[in-house]
Formats: sequence, C-alpha cells, structure tokens
Amino acid sequence: MSENKVELKLLNPRGVIEAQPMSAPNPRIADLVGKRIGLYWNSKPGMDNFYKVFEELLKEKYPTATTTLLRGAFLIRDDDAETWLPQIDTFVYGVGD
Amino acid sequence: MAGTVKLEKLGKPGVFINCTTFDDDAKSASADNGIPTLRRVKISSQEFYKLRGKVETVRPLVESVFDDIINALTKPLTPEEANPSQDMVEQEDQVEVSVTAESYPAAAEEFNRIFLENRWGDGLPLVPPTPERVKWMLSGTKRSPDEALGKINPKQGAATIEKIAINAVMAGAKPEYLPVIIAVIEALTDENFDDLHILASAGSFNLLTVVSGPIAEEIGMESGIGFMGHGWRPNNTIGRAIRLSTLNIGQTWPGKNDMALTGRISPHTFFTFCENADFSPWEPYHASRGFKADESCVTVGSVHGESQLNHFYGGMIGTWTAEGVLDRMVEDLVRTDRRGYFMWGTKGVGKYLGSGGGAMNHMIILFPELVVELEKMGFDQKGLQDEIYKRTAIPYDDLTPAERKSIQTAIELGVIPADRKAVFAEALKPGGKVPVLISPENLHFFVAGGAPGCAFSFNYYRIPPYNRTALMTKRITGATLTKAGSA
Amino acid sequence: MSEKVKLEVLNPRGVVEAKQANAPAPRLTDLAGKRVGLYHNGKPGLDNFFTVFEELLKNKYPTVKTNLIRGSFEITDKDAEAWAPQIDTFVYGVGD
Repeated sequence: MSENKVELKLLNPRGVIEAQPMSAPNPRIADLVGKRIGLYWNSKPGMDNFYKVFEELLKEKYPTATTTLLRGAFLIRDDDAETWLPQIDTFVYGVGD
Repeated sequence: MAGTVKLEKLGKPGVFINCTTFDDDAKSASADNGIPTLRRVKISSQEFYKLRGKVETVRPLVESVFDDIINALTKPLTPEEANPSQDMVEQEDQVEVSVTAESYPAAAEEFNRIFLENRWGDGLPLVPPTPERVKWMLSGTKRSPDEALGKINPKQGAATIEKIAINAVMAGAKPEYLPVIIAVIEALTDENFDDLHILASAGSFNLLTVVSGPIAEEIGMESGIGFMGHGWRPNNTIGRAIRLSTLNIGQTWPGKNDMALTGRISPHTFFTFCENADFSPWEPYHASRGFKADESCVTVGSVHGESQLNHFYGGMIGTWTAEGVLDRMVEDLVRTDRRGYFMWGTKGVGKYLGSGGGAMNHMIILFPELVVELEKMGFDQKGLQDEIYKRTAIPYDDLTPAERKSIQTAIELGVIPADRKAVFAEALKPGGKVPVLISPENLHFFVAGGAPGCAFSFNYYRIPPYNRTALMTKRITGATLTKAGSA
Repeated sequence: MSEKVKLEVLNPRGVVEAKQANAPAPRLTDLAGKRVGLYHNGKPGLDNFFTVFEELLKNKYPTVKTNLIRGSFEITDKDAEAWAPQIDTFVYGVGD
C-alpha cells in the first residue's frame, strides 16, 4: 500500500449567517367563541375558494366568531398589517407556494 | 412565511398554510425569519392545485385540515414551541474541510463527493478550492478578502470577497474574471435588488448578466457567434461562479428553498455574455445608465424562465430588413404587454406599488448588423426607445372598458409614477394612444452576436415582488490583472 | 524547491476514420454554349442572388443555358441523378 497519501485542504464556500435571536410564536387564544379571525390571502390563486369553505365550517362550529378577509401582497405590507391587526384576534395566512 | 412572522412579531397569534411541496421551504424560512416553531398546517400540493378552482371542488380538502387549523390557533404552545432552540438555524462553522486519499484523483473524487453531498456544488465536477488556489484567485482584485458586500437570500449568508473567490475557484474561473464576478454579486446584494424572487421562486426565473466595456475583450469573452453558448471559459465560468456563489453563500437547494419548479434553462451558468463593442455603432449599454462609455460594467437582471424569450429573427433565419424586425418587436411587445393591463390597476404583490405584475422591463438583444441598419435609419438607443414606445401604444378606442378602468385605477393608486401620470391621463381619452409600457426607459438594448445574428428579448416585472428593482448596473473595480476595471 | 507534479491525462476526443482525399472534377475551359446548373438549397434569398447571377452570366456568355433546381439542404440522390446529365457544371448555394 502506498505510504504517500494526498491531503486536500479546502475552504468552505458557504456564506456565514449572522445568528439572530429566535422567538416563540405568540400564545394562542383559548378558543374562538366570539373571536375575530383574520384570513390573509396572499393573492395566490385558489385561496379565496379555500377560505370560503373555511369560513362556512368555522361559522358552523363557532357561530359567534367573525372573519375578516384581507387580500394583499405575498408579504403583507406594513400599512396593511397596521390597519388589519387591531381588527382581529388571530389569523390564518395562506398560501405558501 | 415572512408575512406570517411579521404579524406574529406584532403580537398576533396565527397559523401559516403551506402546500406540502413547499414544506421544507416553509420550515427553513420560519427559522430564517426568527420564529422556528411558528405553527404551520400543510395541505396536499397534489390536491390543492387541482381542486382550488372552485369552492365545491376544494371543499373536501378544507374539511380535511379544518380541525388542524383550529388547533393551530387555539391549542397552547408546547414547552418546545415556547422555548425554541437558538441552534435551529444551521451555521457554517467549518472554515476548512480536509480530504485525504491514496492519490490525487481519489482525493479529487472524494472532494467532489463530499461537496455534492453537502449541497455545496451544482452537480458538475468542481475545482478544489484549496487555500493556495483561493489566494491565486484573490490576486485578481485589490479588494480585501474580508470585505463584505452584503447578504444573499434566502438565508442571508454574508458575501465576502473571499467567499466569492472560493466559489470562483470551484467554477474554474481565472483571477482576471474575479472583478466581474464581484461586480455581479455587488448588484445582487444591493439593498434595492430583489435577489430573493429569482433565487427562490417557483417560477424558475433566471439571471441575465451582460458585461459591457473594454474588460470583456481583455479577459477574452466571446461576443460573436455562439455568444450565449458553451465553449468560452470566461463567459461560462463567470456565470458558473455567480451560480455557485448564490447557491453557497445564500444557501439554497432545489426543492428545499429554491423552489424553481422546472429548474432553470442554462442552470449552471445562467445567461452570461458581453456586448459586441467591435461591431456596434452605439455606445455601450452602461453609458445609457449614467456610466462613462470607457468604463467597464456589469448589468444584472432577473428574467422570466423558459416561457418568455421572444424571438424577432433577423440574420439567416429569413431575409430581413430593420423595419421588419422592428415591426415584429412592436407586435410582440403589444401582444405580451397588453395582457398585463389588468394588473396595472392593483397594488401588486409586493411592498412597492405595481410590484410583480403589470408593466414590464424588456431586455432586448440586437445583433450588430441590425444596429448598423437602425443607425442608418436615424436611431440611437434613446431614439429607438422612443420609437418603440410610440409604436406600441394602443388606441384608446380599441381598449376594452376593463382595460381603461385598470389604467385609470393605476393612475389613481400611484402605480403609474408621478412623472408619467400626465402622459397616461392625456392618452386615456377618445383619440388618445395608451402606452403598454410605463416609460421608454423600460426598454433596454444590448448589442451582441455575430454575422448573421438574431434579435431576441427577455422580460421581467418592472418592479419585482420583494424589493425595488431586479435590474441594476454596477461598475467593475479593483482589477489588478487588466487595465479595464482597475480604478 | 517543491517537487513537480506530473499529470498524465487521456485524450477525450473521438477518433475519426481517415477518408481518402479526392480532387474536384476537372474544370470546363469556358462557359460558351454550356449548361450551367444552379442549385438552390432552399435558404431564403438565394433565388434573388441567382436571378442576378443569371443575368450577369447571360451578358457575358450569351449562348450559355441555365438550369435552376430547388431542393433540400443536401441534394437527394434522385435529384442528383436526374440533374447531373442535364448540366455541364453547377453552382450550389448557399452555405449558411
């Protein structure tokens, strides 16, 4: 067997990512009775139909819950978020594709 | 995902719905954006895309995930969710990787195996980035290896000169190409450039890089026959270095967070070429962007994927006249851009008004003979922009009511910028002619190719989804091995 | 001084079977009274080229006859066999 091994030292081509502090999601609301549920539609096709069915099912299960549908950019704009958030207690955001 | 994180950080609990194909991407993005345990509900990609067209057809899918959504909104966070690990974003701690084998060929094979398994390569064999080789590569620039240009999406990896040099070695580039590669990365990391959409979107968007100015010839780039193809070391390795840099520094991988559904045409090199300065009577492209004609620059632009390359012929494909090619260009622009009118009257899909739809930018490649003929007709770049802008305008009386309404809304919303409002307001009357482009400056001409040649174009959104622009020109600087680009 | 490294690598190019080199056919001494074939391989614009060529040819050689055929990029065997007896020489275009 050959005594002469070849060693290649190679530099890492990957970019260093600055570590940022990780946060937890917000505490959940206990239930949806009488709550205001925001439905955010990021404009991807078909999500409006998805939400129509979701709203029907939601109102069957939680008759006193209300919904607010907002259609906006892929990434919700700052002004939309500021206006919308005070109107809701929780939200659904879709769709990731 | 980033939108959901934004709302959570503003204090509201919520859930993100994502399709199964995008689940790894969503998981990765939630960590990238700082809430790794953000609640998500998956819906089947196969079912959603097929059934979403009607309420009745999508109903079973919604019913199947309804309880999951409710639970995501109401079940208390688990201890693990409430205390996410700070290690949930992968970090690259290794500065150096060592490979030992019985022989050089075995070591080279092992290096390639490791790099590809780690997802640090593009599928083709790589040149080993040894410290010596990287030092050799860095001899092409006077800039410091530690200089950080900015961050590359989606993982916001830091693009330093050294990291770019490492990837340039892997690509098989030479040191004299490095200043060009650096200038491209400067564009991609510019705070106004949307690199996220082109690097991560399902739309398989591509990247156009055009080098203009004397450096192209100095480093041996090909601008004649076959200028967009294989065979030319500078053209191909510059493109490959950009591809590897974005892949490694931005840490993307197909199907994980680079969601290009079909992959990109010319995936290893993007579309990388240079202007043919020898045969063009016009000033180089970058002169139209405010740079000096004798400087060397790169122009970097996102372009649509395989569906949007428009061919205007010329050259050997048929007998041609400049007027005939111009007619084809006009006809094509009207046909494709008129389809976008309906989106003008919406705010768009991004932060900036008019983003991700509606009006376009067109990057048009003209062959030298055609430019000579256009020059004889009295057109320089600006004149041609104005001429095409005028010819592509559609008579008001031919517009549908919906089109007129959309354009009017675009004026009112501010999608049409203030400096163009008067043009559109004046056009939007009986007898007027309504442009399909916001401005003549949305037409960008590059002269490239040999004799015979072809004219063709790419296009992309005037304003991209995630930032202000996806088309930028940067000056090449810091070169040590060429006269051009040395300042 | 560091040791030199020798890399022996194999040639990746395909081997091409050597063909015998032949000379073109002997030329005519002049074109007076001859039959000149004009082969149009279908590429746009060659018809216009040949129109002018024929005029110039007939100016210079009033007794010459021309025989234009239009065919595929590479003349088929059938066309070649039918045409060759009708001509004394030919012009074939265009390579692009």
